[in-house]
Amino acid sequence: MLALLLAGVAAPALPAPRYVVVPAQSTLTFVGTQQGEKFTGAIRDFDANIAYAADDLAGSSLDVTIRIKSIDTQSPDRDQALVTADWFDAAKFPTATFRTVAIRATPAGPVGDADLVIKGHTKRIAFPFAWKPAAGGATLDARVMLDRLDFGLGAGEWADESMVGRKVEVVVHLALAVQPVAAPKPVAKRP
Amino acid sequence: MALRATATAWGAVTRLFHWGMLVLFATIIPIGYYMTDLPLGARKLRIYALHKSIGLTLLGLALLRLLWRFSERRPALAPMPAWQARAAAASHGLLYVLMLLIPLSGWLYNSAAGFPLQWFHLFNLPALTASNPVLKATAKDIHESAVVVLIAIVVLHALAALKHHFIDRDHTLRSMLVARRGAE
Repeated sequence: MLALLLAGVAAPALPAPRYVVVPAQSTLTFVGTQQGEKFTGAIRDFDANIAYAADDLAGSSLDVTIRIKSIDTQSPDRDQALVTADWFDAAKFPTATFRTVAIRATPAGPVGDADLVIKGHTKRIAFPFAWKPAAGGATLDARVMLDRLDFGLGAGEWADESMVGRKVEVVVHLALAVQPVAAPKPVAKRP
Repeated sequence: MALRATATAWGAVTRLFHWGMLVLFATIIPIGYYMTDLPLGARKLRIYALHKSIGLTLLGLALLRLLWRFSERRPALAPMPAWQARAAAASHGLLYVLMLLIPLSGWLYNSAAGFPLQWFHLFNLPALTASNPVLKATAKDIHESAVVVLIAIVVLHALAALKHHFIDRDHTLRSMLVARRGAE
C-alpha cells in the first residue's frame, strides 16, 4: 500500500478523476434583489461534468449546464416573469452554460477562467472555488458576483435598479462523488 | 375649527382622517382594478409598488385613526329612530374593520405570493408568511371581496349623510364637512 502510494507520488500525475454531482446534497442558487429585498433562486435542474485534480489542472475542467425553466425563486409570479423575453427568454435560450477554459492555482486556491453563456451572451469570468476532498468524492464551494446586464437580463425598462438590482451573487455548493471508471466503450463504427 | 371634537361637531383631526382617507381610497381602488390586467413588465411592477405604498399608508392611518377615535368624545347624534342609530353604529364599526382588513389581506396576499413589500422605496416590511399558493388565493379573495363590501358601505354611508342633510335637515353632514361656515 505504502509502496503504491510512494509510486503514485513518484510517477507522473494521474489524470484528474471525473466526478458526478450528488443532487440531494448539492445546491446551485443565486441571490438577487427586488424592491430592496433579497430573494434566492434555486436552480433545480442542472448537469455538471467535473474533472479535477490539484496536480493536473491542465486535465481539470468544470462544465455545467442549467435548465432555465427549473429556476425556483419561491414566487410563482416571479418565476413566470423570469422566463419571459425581458429576462431569460427561456423559449429561445432554454439553457445556460458554464465552461472553464483553464484552471489556475493561486495562493488563495484554484481559480477557473470560464465562459458563462446566458441568453446567448458570453462572458469570461474568474471563478475562484474551494475544493475539499471528502470520502469517495469532494465538495466544491464558490461564490461569484455577476452583473445581470452583462447577459441582457432585464434590459430596457428593467435596467433601472429601483425594481431589480443589477448585482446577482451565484452561490454554488456541489457534493461530488468520484465517477467509477467505466469500461472503455466500444468505438462507434460509422455505417 | 378645534382639533378635538365638540358636542356638535367633529374636530379637525377626525375630519382630516375622514376626508384624507377617502381621497386615498378613491385613488388606490381604481389603481387596484386597473393594475391587475396590465401586461407583465416593469410598469406593472411600479404601479403595484405604488398601490402597496398607498395601502400601507392607509393601514398606518387606520391604526392612528382608531387610536384617535377611542380618545375622542363623539358629537351628539341628531335625533333619529333607534334602528337608524344602530345601523349607523354598525356601518361605522364595519368601516373600521374593513379599513384594517383590506390592507392587511393585501399584505398577506403579497407575502404569500413571495413578493417584497416596500414603502415608497424607503423601507421594507417583513413578510407575514412564507410563499404559499393556497393562502395566496384565500388572501386575494378576502382582499377583493372586502373592497366590494367597502364600496357598498361607503355608498350607503354617503346616502345616509345626504338624507340627514337634505331630508332631516340636521347637522350630521355639517359635523364632518371641511368648510368652516358649516362647522358649528
